[in-house]
Amino acid sequence: MAHEVHLDSLKVVEQDVILQVLYRDQAVQRIEEERIRPVFFDSLDCRRLKTQLQHLRWRGVKGPSTEYKDKCCARCQRVLGLLLNRGAVCRGCSHRVCSECRVRLRGTRVWRCTVCFEDRNVKIKTGEWFFEERAKKFPTEGKRETAGAKLLQSYQKLSTISVVPPTPPPFSESQCSRSPGKLQELGQFKGFNKSVENLFLSVATHMKKLSKSQNDMTSEKHLLATGPRQSTGQTERRSQSDTAVNVTTRKVSIPDIVKFLRQEDAKPSPGSVSKQEALPPISTPPALFSGGLRHGSIISINSTCTEMGNFDNANVTGEIEFAIRYCFKTHCLEILIKTCKNLAYGEEKKKKCNPYVKTYLLPDKSSQGKRKTGVQKNTLDPTFQETLKYQVDPAQLVSRQLLVSVWHLGTLTRRVFLGEVIVPLATWDFEDSATQSFCWYPLRAKAEKYEDSVPQNNGELAVRAKLVLPTEPRKLQEAQEDQLSLNGQLCLVVLGAKNLPVRSDGTLNSFVKGCLTLPDQQKLRLKSPVLKKQACPQWKHSFVFNGVSRSQLRQASLELTVWDQAVFGMNDRLLGGARLGSKGDAVVGAGGGSQSKLQWQKVLSNPNLWTDMTLILH
Amino acid sequence: MASATDSRYGQKESSDQNFDYMFKILIIGNSSVGKTSFLFRYADDSFTPAFVSTVGIDFKVKTIYRNDKRIKLQIWDTAGQERYRTITTAYYRGAMGFILMYDITNEESFNAVQDWSTQIKTYSWDNAQVLLVGNKCDMEDERVVSSERGRQLADHLGFEFFEASAKDNINVKQTFERLVDVICEKMSESLDTADPAVTGAKQGPQLTDQQAPPHQDCAC
Repeated sequence: MAHEVHLDSLKVVEQDVILQVLYRDQAVQRIEEERIRPVFFDSLDCRRLKTQLQHLRWRGVKGPSTEYKDKCCARCQRVLGLLLNRGAVCRGCSHRVCSECRVRLRGTRVWRCTVCFEDRNVKIKTGEWFFEERAKKFPTEGKRETAGAKLLQSYQKLSTISVVPPTPPPFSESQCSRSPGKLQELGQFKGFNKSVENLFLSVATHMKKLSKSQNDMTSEKHLLATGPRQSTGQTERRSQSDTAVNVTTRKVSIPDIVKFLRQEDAKPSPGSVSKQEALPPISTPPALFSGGLRHGSIISINSTCTEMGNFDNANVTGEIEFAIRYCFKTHCLEILIKTCKNLAYGEEKKKKCNPYVKTYLLPDKSSQGKRKTGVQKNTLDPTFQETLKYQVDPAQLVSRQLLVSVWHLGTLTRRVFLGEVIVPLATWDFEDSATQSFCWYPLRAKAEKYEDSVPQNNGELAVRAKLVLPTEPRKLQEAQEDQLSLNGQLCLVVLGAKNLPVRSDGTLNSFVKGCLTLPDQQKLRLKSPVLKKQACPQWKHSFVFNGVSRSQLRQASLELTVWDQAVFGMNDRLLGGARLGSKGDAVVGAGGGSQSKLQWQKVLSNPNLWTDMTLILH
Repeated sequence: MASATDSRYGQKESSDQNFDYMFKILIIGNSSVGKTSFLFRYADDSFTPAFVSTVGIDFKVKTIYRNDKRIKLQIWDTAGQERYRTITTAYYRGAMGFILMYDITNEESFNAVQDWSTQIKTYSWDNAQVLLVGNKCDMEDERVVSSERGRQLADHLGFEFFEASAKDNINVKQTFERLVDVICEKMSESLDTADPAVTGAKQGPQLTDQQAPPHQDCAC
C-alpha cells in the first residue's frame, strides 16, 4: 500500500499552497516528536525493566520451588501472605503483585501493575496504541512517517532546485548489530545505542518511580545489575542525580541528533558509548525524522548563542588537521575533520576541554549552513575522523570561504571559542589530488569581524524612488506646503537585488523590509512578498509611505533590509541592509554611500520624478 | 541597521508541549459541503459565507481538555474535489477518526456518503472512528435530505450521526468532542485487550495463572 504520492500533477501555485501546509505540518510533527522523545526513551527503559524483571521471574520459576512467584510481589518483592495480602495477578503481565503495586484504570474497576500501567501510559502518550492497531492492517507502514513527510520527500525528488538533500540516517545495520540485544523488540528503533550506564540509571529511576517501597528496591537492583558496570557504584549515583541525568539527556538530545544526522561518517570513537557521561550519545530513531526536508526539521538551538557572540574566549593555541574534497559529479563538498592537537583548555581553571569542530561556508552564517562534529570529551588532542558535507554548486564555490572553528562545550550551554581557520575556496584547486590530502592548519583567534578581512558588501539593491507631493507645491513656500499638506507620499519601487550572500545551494527565499523612521521616531514599516528560490530576486514591489511631508523626510531615515526567509521554525536571516536619509550618513559613509546620499537628496528635491539608485547592502 | 540585526535571533518559536497526547482527525466529504467552514468554526470560531475551494489539504490545531487530559487535535481539512484525491487519501492512514460530511441541501453529497465510507474502509485502519455529519442544518428551507435518512444511513454504516451548522454554530463542538470520546474509547479498548499479548508473550514463558478471576481487586 506504500504507493507514492506526487504533487507534480498539480499547478505550481497549488504545489506552493500545499507545500506551505506541509511545512506547517512538519513543524507540528516536530513539536510532537519533541514531546514524545522523552516519553519514548522512558518507554524503552520501561520495557527493558520489564524484560529484566521477567527474566528474573523466570529464573525464579526455574529455581527450587515454583512457590517463589506466588510468595512475593513481582514489583516490590514484598512477601505475600497465604491468607492476607495474597496478591493478585496483573492481567497485563500475568505477574502476581501486592495491593500497593496496582493502579486502577480510570473510570473502571480494572487495574494493572505499576509497570504495565506505565507501559500503557506510554502507549497512549506516544500514540503507539494507534500504530499497533494500524500495523494489523498495514504491517509495512512506517510508524511515524506521515503522509506529509512522504509528500515532502516526493516533492523534493521532482523539484529541480536542489535543497541540501537529506543525508541518510547514519544508523546502519552494522551499528544496530553492535548495540546490545533486544533490539528486534524495538523494531524500527534500531538506532538505539544509549549508553548502558545511562540506561541503567533510567531503569533505576523508573523503578523508583514505580515502586512505593524503596528499601525493597535496593535488593532488586543488585539482582538486576547485569551490565558491564557493577551496581555498587550505581546505587549512590542514582540517589544523587536521578533527575539530573534525565534532564541532561533531554537537553542534549537535540543538538546531538543534529550531529548524528549531519554527519554520515559518525564514527563514535571506541568506548564513547560508555564513557560519555554528561553527553550520552543518544541516537534517535530515524523514523522520527522521516520528513523529506530533514535538514529543515532540525534546528540547532545552540547556534543562537555563538552567532550572537555569546561565548567565552580561550587563548588560542594548537592546530587542526583536515582535508577538503569536492565531488564535481555530486556537487558535494566534503570537509574531513581528522584531529586537533595542543588545543587550549576550554576552562583553564578546571583544566577541562570538550572540543568539537564547526564549519560554515561564508558568507552564509545561517544555521542551515552550519555543520558540526561530535564532541570529544576531556582532551586537548581530539580525534574526530568525521566528514562534514555541503551540497554546493561549483559556481558557488569560488565565492565561498570555508570557516572551520573549534569550540569547547562547557557545562550546559556554555561555549568557548578555541580557534579558527578560514580557507578561501576561490583559489582552491579541487581537481589536484595534492590539495585533497590532509593538512595541518594553525588555529587563529577570531577576526574582530569577518567583514574586516573581506570588503563588506552583501550585494546591491536596486530601487526607484519618488516623492509625490500634491500638485502645485512648487508655487508655495516650503513651510506653507508642510502646513497645508501632510499628505505627501514617498513611493519606492524595490526593483531587485544581486550578489546577495546566497545559501549553499545558490538560492534564496528573499524579501525586503522597508522602515521609514520619521523625526518623531514614528516608524512606518512595509514588507515585500517573498520571492522563492532565486539568487537575484526581482521583486518589483512598491512601498508607499503615506502622509509624509518633504521636511519630515529631510530628517527621516529609510532603512531597507533584505532577508532570507527561514525554513520553518528558524528566524529569517538578514542578508544586508542600507539606510537612506539623515542618519544614514555615518553608516553609509564609505563606498557607494555618498552617491546614494546624493541620490536621496535628489529624490527629495525633485518631487514627482522617479530617481533610480543602487544601494550597497551592508 | 543594528536594530534589525538584533531581532535576527530574537524569539524562537515556542514549542508548546503542554499536552498529553495528540489525535489526528480528517474531515472528508464532497466539495462545498462545508468542511472548511466547519473546521474554521470549531478552531477559530469564525465563519465566512464565501466559498473558497480548499487546495489539496490544510489543517488546524486545537488543544482541548477532555477527561482530565489535554488532547491536541490536528484536524485535517481535505479538498472535496476529485482531482486532489490522491493527496487526500494519503492522509487517511494517519487519521484516528473521521468526520464524514454531507450537505443537507445537496442530495448528491448525501449519495456520495457511501463512497466516502468505502474510501475510509480502503485507506484507513480497521477501527477508524467515523461520525457522519449533515451540515448546513440552518438552511431548513432548502433541505432535501431529511434527518431520518441521515440517521438511517449512519446506522447502516455503523457511524454516529449529527446534524450541524457551521454558520449558526450548531453541534460543531459536540461533533468534535464526541469524536474524541469515541477515539478514546477505542484506545482503551485496544490497549486493554491487547495487553497480554504485547507484554507477556514475547519474553520468557507464559505463566500459568493468566486466566485469573477478574475481581480480585480487594483480595489482599
